[in-house]
Amino acid sequence: MTINAIPPAFIFIAGGLLLPFLKVRRFKQMLQLLIPVIAFIDLLYMGQGTYWTCHFLGYELVLGRVDKLSLCFGYAFVIIAFIGMVYALHVKEDGQHVAAFLYIGSTLGVVFAGDLFTLYVFWEIMAVASVFLIWYRKDRKALDAGFRYIMVHIFGGCCLLAGIIIHIADTGSIYFNLIDLNGPGSKLILLGFIINAAVPPFHAWLSDAYPEGTITGSIFLAAFTTKSAVYVLLRGFPGAEVLIWLGAIMAVYGVVFAVIENDMRRLLSYHIISQVGYMVAGVGLGTELAINGAAALAITNILYKSLMFMAVGAIIYETGKRRLSDLRGCDLYRKMPITLVMYMIGGLAISAVPLLNGFVSKPMVVAAVGLEHRAIIHLMLHLASIGTFLSVGLKLPYGAWFGKRPDGKKEEIKDVKEPPLNMLIAMGLIAFACILTGICPHILYRILPFDVNYLPYTAHHVIGAVQLLLMTAAAFWFYIDKLGPKPVITVDTDWFYRIPGRLFLSFCNKPLNKFRSDVQGLFSKERAFVASLSKNPFTIPAVLAESMKLKMTSAGNHERKEEISGRLNKLKSIAYNENRYRISIGWSVMVCIGFVSVFAFIFFYL
Amino acid sequence: MVRIFKYIFFISIGLSVLVGLFLPHEHVNFWWEKIPAFDAIFGFVGCVLIVLVSKALGHHWLQRDEDYYDD
Repeated sequence: MTINAIPPAFIFIAGGLLLPFLKVRRFKQMLQLLIPVIAFIDLLYMGQGTYWTCHFLGYELVLGRVDKLSLCFGYAFVIIAFIGMVYALHVKEDGQHVAAFLYIGSTLGVVFAGDLFTLYVFWEIMAVASVFLIWYRKDRKALDAGFRYIMVHIFGGCCLLAGIIIHIADTGSIYFNLIDLNGPGSKLILLGFIINAAVPPFHAWLSDAYPEGTITGSIFLAAFTTKSAVYVLLRGFPGAEVLIWLGAIMAVYGVVFAVIENDMRRLLSYHIISQVGYMVAGVGLGTELAINGAAALAITNILYKSLMFMAVGAIIYETGKRRLSDLRGCDLYRKMPITLVMYMIGGLAISAVPLLNGFVSKPMVVAAVGLEHRAIIHLMLHLASIGTFLSVGLKLPYGAWFGKRPDGKKEEIKDVKEPPLNMLIAMGLIAFACILTGICPHILYRILPFDVNYLPYTAHHVIGAVQLLLMTAAAFWFYIDKLGPKPVITVDTDWFYRIPGRLFLSFCNKPLNKFRSDVQGLFSKERAFVASLSKNPFTIPAVLAESMKLKMTSAGNHERKEEISGRLNKLKSIAYNENRYRISIGWSVMVCIGFVSVFAFIFFYL
Repeated sequence: MVRIFKYIFFISIGLSVLVGLFLPHEHVNFWWEKIPAFDAIFGFVGCVLIVLVSKALGHHWLQRDEDYYDD
């Protein structure tokens, strides 16, 4: 049976390209939902093994390397593709859906790629397809952010390609598996991967671009790029020591920025960085528990992070406001209570509240760190857990739904209600999945790469988590006024390419461009002179002679100058007339013979 | 309403700390895990630390007017 399955990437890509050709809206919507369903059935039919190999330029490309690691990411991506499509069902622009399907398809291509070349091709399609989910917002900020996003990803892609070429030259194999971290090839590949995983200082593309995406596009953005980067890191670099530290730094870095952020989706974006930090640290540890933890966290994070983006997207959809400071006094808890409940399920899940799926995944990574006796990393990850609950579990929902203006006035917003039914259903589906995998963790553990010996629900784990969260909430209460949103933006490492980049551009525009026009002016004068000479070859000697005379005449001698330029103009005005310069055939023959003789002499005797 | 919520909140903090004290000891990896109610202390101190540090960073260094990047 397994042979009949086709690469899931192709289902999404072909389905997406088919979409614009359907004319009836209902059929389009049906296809949107059908494609992920077909892909899921396809995944179920794929047994473990290697499929769809083809030969290309003497190398063997593998489009389907199916094992437990690639399958668990595949399941998560296809499930969120379905729910994301439910959420986006009301969007009428085909282009957005096509971009989303290409993006999802290429991500699955990355996940099932067995060789580096296939990986690279899908990696680049992913970057190009995803940028349209930002550009479709169609305002100036989205356009600019999209350009910055694609440039960072092109840089990352170039690093990856250079690394792959060096790696292949060194090892002779394009097979993608564990890569030894020595030599420039493997380091460049790692750099390409960690740019997509948004590891500081290469993370600013994420918090810059994701808040600018379309409401529905941001769901896909939040789920796919970083998590596919975690997958390739798990495949290529488990146990790389440097990743443990990078991951721990990421986890704390993300929450520090999230705590002071005002734009809701930017806050959540910073929080993606923090969560991916746990996964990267897990990859760096490389033990079975850590790898299981990183994979489990990636899967659960895809769920609850999407849920939070959906709820916040619903607020933006209904109110048009994206900043917490603009939502103060709106009393959204009266108008959008269901969305609040949905958000809180996601927010509590991500904070690892018992009975939700964050509790069964995140502590696995922390426990793996503990078993390796890495004290500082352990404390950093613990601290990031606190920051998680503080920023996305308390600050954001309080600010968005209950926020008060300092002067106590109410903001009048009309026509704000719960979002459309398809959005609510999508949120409900994920909320259900968060609760289900939280209560029955074995559903999740069954698909992880290694057998799981981790027990989430011990008395110590539960009481520890409850104490941590309650006291975090107590401290939040304490500082509730200090944490009020301010209408400011936060400068991040994107500063380095936004401000100096602008200086570089103005350097190109002004001094460098002036130099170009000077050089061009110089040569165009010479060119014009040569062109004027060529109008009549017979007057060239006379024109040259007169020009020299004109140049040598001293500046004060006006009479002579005028005399010479008069003659020069006269000479230049003599047009070439073939009848005037015609000579007898005999002369021509003699010149030809002379030329041939000289050529023959050179050819035969020199 | 808020008052009831407050009571429930404080009671549950007390309860969780109390239950934590009477739990049998598990295998611990770090010495601080033996401190009674460590998670509660760490939760409060950590949260205060994050708020103060990130607010200070933002106020003195990172936060700018919203039109900072506009020409």
